[in-house]
Amino acid sequence: MSDFAGMEDLLQDFLIEAGDLLSGVDNKLVDLERSPDDRGLLNEIFRGFHTIKGGAGFLNATELVTLCHLTENLFDNLRNGELAVTPEIMDVILAATATVRDMFASLEQGMQPTAADPDLIARLRQAIAGELVAGSAEEIPAPAAPAAAASQAAAGRAPDWELLHGVVTGVARVVQPVREAGPVAAVVAAAPTCPPEEVIKAAVGRRATDKPGSQVSTGRREGEKQRDNSIRVDTTRLDQVLNLSGEIGLTKNRLTALRSDILSGRNDNETLHSLDIAVSQLDLLVSDLQNAVMKTRMQPIGRLFQKYPRIARDLARSMGKDVELVLAGEETEIDKTMIEDLADPIIHLIRNAVDHGVEDAAGRIASGKPEKSIVRLEARQEGDHIVILVADDGRGMNAERLRAKAVEKGLITDEESNSMDERQSFNLVFLPGFSMAAQVSDVSGRGVGMDVVRTNIQKLNGNIEIQSQLGKGTTFVISLPLTLAILPVLLVRLGDQPFAVPLSMVREILPIEAKEVQEVGGRATMVVRGEVLPIMPLAGLLGWPLERAPYYGVLMQTAEMSFILGIDSFAGREDAVIKSLDDFRPKGVAGVTTLSNGQIVLILDMKELLGSAGDQRWLSRMTMMAKQVATA
Amino acid sequence: MSDPKMKFLVVDDFSTMRRIVRNLLKELGFTNVDEAEDGAVALQKLNSAPFDFVVTDWNMPNMDGLTLLQTIRQTPHLRHLPVLMVTAEAKKENIIAAAQAGASGYIVKPFTAATMSEKLEKIFEKMGKKATA
Repeated sequence: MSDFAGMEDLLQDFLIEAGDLLSGVDNKLVDLERSPDDRGLLNEIFRGFHTIKGGAGFLNATELVTLCHLTENLFDNLRNGELAVTPEIMDVILAATATVRDMFASLEQGMQPTAADPDLIARLRQAIAGELVAGSAEEIPAPAAPAAAASQAAAGRAPDWELLHGVVTGVARVVQPVREAGPVAAVVAAAPTCPPEEVIKAAVGRRATDKPGSQVSTGRREGEKQRDNSIRVDTTRLDQVLNLSGEIGLTKNRLTALRSDILSGRNDNETLHSLDIAVSQLDLLVSDLQNAVMKTRMQPIGRLFQKYPRIARDLARSMGKDVELVLAGEETEIDKTMIEDLADPIIHLIRNAVDHGVEDAAGRIASGKPEKSIVRLEARQEGDHIVILVADDGRGMNAERLRAKAVEKGLITDEESNSMDERQSFNLVFLPGFSMAAQVSDVSGRGVGMDVVRTNIQKLNGNIEIQSQLGKGTTFVISLPLTLAILPVLLVRLGDQPFAVPLSMVREILPIEAKEVQEVGGRATMVVRGEVLPIMPLAGLLGWPLERAPYYGVLMQTAEMSFILGIDSFAGREDAVIKSLDDFRPKGVAGVTTLSNGQIVLILDMKELLGSAGDQRWLSRMTMMAKQVATA
Repeated sequence: MSDPKMKFLVVDDFSTMRRIVRNLLKELGFTNVDEAEDGAVALQKLNSAPFDFVVTDWNMPNMDGLTLLQTIRQTPHLRHLPVLMVTAEAKKENIIAAAQAGASGYIVKPFTAATMSEKLEKIFEKMGKKATA
């Protein structure tokens, strides 16, 4: 099936490395637009295409070679000063880059890429020859263009050369800033315009076969999984792992020797002391090794961030806005799986910022801001968390309007709306079914809404919050654990049986006093600092017989609700190493972990547990029992 | 003349390409291969350990292959090292520039083990002649 039998390894290497190269090229192209005469940049981009071409040759990907070769020639002329970077040439280059990405996508699926659009090739050749390059016939937008061009475009592949000539010579350079849009300028400015959906698809390199909608994910995942299997690790990190495992081997030898000593009856102080030293050494080495292995999975988030300036630029351009995406903290390291799962949510947030967050030029001038808006994408490590910010300097969110909208959509009631503070109001945008007026859907090509963004972040054991100031801008703050492999948990007990719940959901622990339990609407509740919270006894959630009222409550907070988990006692907190139960996975159990004493503990998936608690007869029993205790 | 113990230095900024060349060399029986990611690193390695053969890409950051070649030819203790230029460029002026700078051979990507073997043989032959002359 694959066109690359026997070359899979090579192909994977090539895709990873060339993919990085191409992302780098993309970013440099955005820079190039700002400083079109930068020789260094031109040179680097040239080398990028050149290197991709060289690698592609070994894969016999002739179409990719041809395309890269032409693009490279164009850059050769540009860096030699034979040609100057014009907006038209820029568009051809961007189109070529997008096509290269498409070709990578088909390589990723084990297929030789098909030939690039002949129109693109023709435009590249024209550009190299220094002939005038303008958008192809189809791309001259009818509405914006003057009547003559419009009718020509409609007539098919016969652009009005005279008009285009006028556009791309002299005039073109003067009107490059979009705002001055006269009728002629409109042609130039609008030529590369295509719907934002297309922009993102092209930039992210999604396959043409992908259709928006939920079923998309499967096809894409499969392709990606292939690529997921390999990871690039700094050799110094691998050496560290190697070194540590060697050390552990040595310590093990020491222990084996000590064991035979002890078994043969030697248990003097000196032997025991050596044993003590060896064991503490092993302790240290093992935790170092765990850290070192974890580090091999850590990748700089810059690799993900790289993709976005181009996406933001294309999006902004297609909406007629001037937006610069500023990156910070690219060197921040994060688990590789998380990088992949963050790609879509971040795209959505950026799109959101460009689309809804920042005002258009006129609006910005009216509110006394610089015309160009800045969207900041930033990552940093804070303690054992990674924080990612997407911040715009736009109009900010209007809590009141959000509430009104949610009421109008029937997502919340009037009373609920009245009791909401600002933060809660902002969070309304995460509700499924909530969408801002202009947001039609589906920019990332798969119908991701803000609710999906939040769900995806939560899947990574992270959370997302909104800070916003009217007129100043909005910031989305994503906070994620450093790794998915280790989960800080709270150990709770039901009778003698321990269970682990994710510590990230735990807000506080409180005793459940019978006299404080109240029945509201047939449910046991408790008032904590003025807030009425339902009590969910763990036994009830697990489907165990409920024999007595719980002694303690753990105040848990999920995205949807806060509640008190009723339990018998605590065993403390622990950093659990999660072992997943692949084939055998009882509902409500996320995995298992082993305690230091060897005991096996189930790690609970609270969300699933709550979801399965459809049969809530125990709720009233719980109340009843609470009352009994109270009267006793 | 081709001694399988010969030590090669493969210079390319694209690690996939280094691997390709390394694998081709392995196919030809040469397993003693070190890598460098640009001309500057290559020079460092050449100066710190003995090598018998350099295979270098042309287009690289920091120091390109042509400059590397020129530097090798100007350095007394490296001057006689055979240098095979590997590049995606088949332009005449490039080949001439490489020849003038003293390249022992020039090979255009993509190539097969057979092509590479042929080029290497030619270079060995020349070296052998020189040695006997």
